[in-house]
Parts: sequence; C-alpha cells; structure tokens
Amino acid sequence: MRRLLLALMSVLAVAMATPRASAQTASSWTPPKTPWGDPDLQGIWPSTHMLQTPVQRDPKMGTRAVLNDEEYAQRMRQVKAFANIEAGNPDRVPISAGWFDPGKGSRQASLVVDPPDGRIPALTPETQKREAERLARYKEKKDAPDTWQDLTTWDRCISLGAVGSMLPFYYNNGIEIVQAPGYVVIRNEMIHEARVIPLDGRPHVGSAVRMWMGDSRGHWESATLVVETTNFNTRVGVGPGDGGFGDAAPRPTENLRVTERFTRADEHTVDYQVTIQDLNTWTKPWTMAYPLRQEPNYTTISEYACHEGNIFMHDVLSGARAVEAKATAAKKGSN
Amino acid sequence: MNQRRLRRLLLTLLLTLPAVVAAHHSFTAQFDANKPVTVRGTVTKMDWINPHSWIHLETKDADGKTITWMVELGTPNVLVRRGFTKKALEAGTEIVVSGYQAKNGENKMNGGYVTFKDGTRLFAGGSGPGEAPTPIPGAPQK
Repeated sequence: MRRLLLALMSVLAVAMATPRASAQTASSWTPPKTPWGDPDLQGIWPSTHMLQTPVQRDPKMGTRAVLNDEEYAQRMRQVKAFANIEAGNPDRVPISAGWFDPGKGSRQASLVVDPPDGRIPALTPETQKREAERLARYKEKKDAPDTWQDLTTWDRCISLGAVGSMLPFYYNNGIEIVQAPGYVVIRNEMIHEARVIPLDGRPHVGSAVRMWMGDSRGHWESATLVVETTNFNTRVGVGPGDGGFGDAAPRPTENLRVTERFTRADEHTVDYQVTIQDLNTWTKPWTMAYPLRQEPNYTTISEYACHEGNIFMHDVLSGARAVEAKATAAKKGSN
Repeated sequence: MNQRRLRRLLLTLLLTLPAVVAAHHSFTAQFDANKPVTVRGTVTKMDWINPHSWIHLETKDADGKTITWMVELGTPNVLVRRGFTKKALEAGTEIVVSGYQAKNGENKMNGGYVTFKDGTRLFAGGSGPGEAPTPIPGAPQK
C-alpha cells in the first residue's frame, strides 16, 4: 500500500510540476517496445532541465509540492540569470556560474517527494556523531589537504555512487539507457559509470562483495523498470552535501538499499524515482522523483576523461605545500 | 531585470546554494583568489577534456624568454552548447586572458575572460570565486 501511495504521490508531484506533451498527444502515444518485447527505454535522457530545482524543499512550503506562480516566477528568474551567460552576456555575472547549463525551470518544489514535506529525514544519532567527525576533518582539509585521502571520491575521479550519478548537476547530466535481451545498461556521463543490470532474477552477489556503484538487479513491473541495488561500499556519500554531490553527503552503512523506477511517460520523457533506505543512517526511507527528458542539443555523451585531465590533484597537493612553506618562511623571518 | 539585480540574484544564488553550484573541484583549493593575473599570448593548443578543458598559450617575459601558460575551462559539452567550437581558439590565435593563478605558483590559471585582438571577448567559464575578475588593462570591453 505504501508503495502504491508513494508511486501516486511521485507521479502527481512530477506531473503537476512539469509540462508534458498535450493531452491529445499523450493519449494517442503508444509506448514503444524493443524487438524482443520489453518496454523500450533506450536513449539519452539528460536531467539538465531539472537544474534550479532543489533537492530539498523550502520548509516554508510544508507539504505543498508545486510552486505557486510567484515562486515559479522567481525560479524562472534564476534560470534566466544563468541563461544570460549563454546569451553572450557574461560581463555581469560571477564567473563561477560560467560552467553551467541553466536548466529549464520546473514547477516541482523539490526533488524529494517523500517524506511529504520534501525534506531528507533526520540522520540516526550514531550517524550524526560519525558524520560530525568526518565533516569536521573534511571542512578543515578540503582546501589544504595533507594527503590525497583528504580529497573526495569525485575530486579523485573515482565515483559519485549510484545515487549521486543520477542527480541533476550543472554539467555532464547525460544518462543513457541501452537494452539487450535480459539486460539493461545505465550509463552516466558523470562520472563515466555504466551499470550492467541483469533482468533474469539472479540473486545479488555475496554480502562480502562491496562496490562503489553497488550490485544492481532489475525486473519489469508492467511498463516500469525496477532496479534494486545493494552491496554498496560505505565510502561515497548519498545525496547532496555542502561540498557537492557525494562528497560531503552522509556516508551510508552496508545496509543501504536503493530502489529505482524508470517509466516511459511520453516520447521524450522517462519518469525516474529513487528510494533510499538505510535505517542505520536515516531514520526512515526517502524518495526523490523527477523526469529525465531528451533534449535536441544533447544527443551525445562526452567521454569523462577525468584521470587524464586531473591536474587538480597535483595542483592542490603542491599548492597546499607551497602555502605551508610560505607560512614557515614568514614565521622564520619574523623570529 | 537590470544588470545590478541580475548580479545580486546570481550572488545570492551562489551563496545560498553552495552544494548545487560547487564545481567538480574546489576553486579555492587549486587557485588563489588573491592572485589575479592577465596574460597576453598566442594559443599553442586547446585540450578538449571532459570535465576540464585547457587552453595552452605562450607569451614572452621582459627578457624575451618564452613562458607557457595553461588556462582552465569548463566541460566541453557545456562549452560547445554555449557556441565555443573547435575553431574558436585555433593554434596561433593571439589572445589576452585574465583569471587567477594556481596556488602552487605554476603558470596555470582559472580563466575568467578571453579577449581576441579585435577586442571580441570569449567567455571562458572557469570555476572561480563569485565575482568578476579584474578588468583587463587596455583591452577593449565589449
């Protein structure tokens, strides 16, 4: 029953918040099938259009999942402000915005749709303590690391994890779905991940096997692809954090279970829903839902050549040592 | 929206949504916001690398010695969608670049603006701090 309610809530929130093809088009549209008879989800489905939609809802909105006209106008001003960069008007905006796609502007209040207030549930007391210690070091060292281990798995070109890889970000939002008989592959532009998901009902790998993206198994529930992922390691965060996705976000425990649902909504849209459950980390499960949508100018996924281009690791570690040496020399000079 | 309001909105956005607007890497870990630099030089090559593209250029110091610089840009797919094509910065192009130098003192910068000889300005989109870089001395503003 809870699953039914959740599905209904997600669909309502996303449907009310995001424009679709006209009702006439939607009713006359027949979801395609693969040659072997599975629902066809294949294509590149960027989440770029959901930029400017926060993960968590403004607490002032309570359980209201859709922006009113005034709030929507404010969001569209944000979209327009970012879009002005692309319109060749960079002089008046901070250059830090220049990396980013502006998004399209959705009426959806937050990516989190359950709990109904759109807020990620509280961490358990044990996790709060564990995270406070980890974050204290993270915040102290992120701009002056002692070692590569002080840097994030994103900085180090390792992984954003299964949840972080699907979240909208300001660039590299390409999500490609490829199908073959008995398998679905979900490929993320950031950060060069590809989950090969068997659909044949085989069990998960043994509990001793732990992976950055976990171990995924899929099945069909009518036209919906359901992907259950377990066997995560505990080294990459889940959800947004104050330093970017997957780095300052809370580290889960080995009990983490991620359930994703992909449903073709119309010719250009796949509705996506992800439920995160780890009662050792959060006090209750939580769900995000948002549409993934084809874009005419987003038809290829760039190779994510992170390691080859990762000059950052050299620069930041040598930069931290240079700052230390300067401080030491200044101290000696003043003595 | 006038430009002052636009700038205020962007600044507010950047300050209030740090998680969302954080780029792949921390600007402040790699570059020094107190070391703005401006370099006039000739492009030797452009590395279109996702997620960090780089312009390579050469310039001369006061003694005529060749100095190389690298300028960090954003991800190729965003640059291309913004109209920054392969032909925009071919080898041999003379440019003026402003940005912030790497903390380690190497000749790398996070690019703010690229200005061509004719004064046309190409937006270089680095992951810099939330303010415009120092204006380029003598460079035409467009």
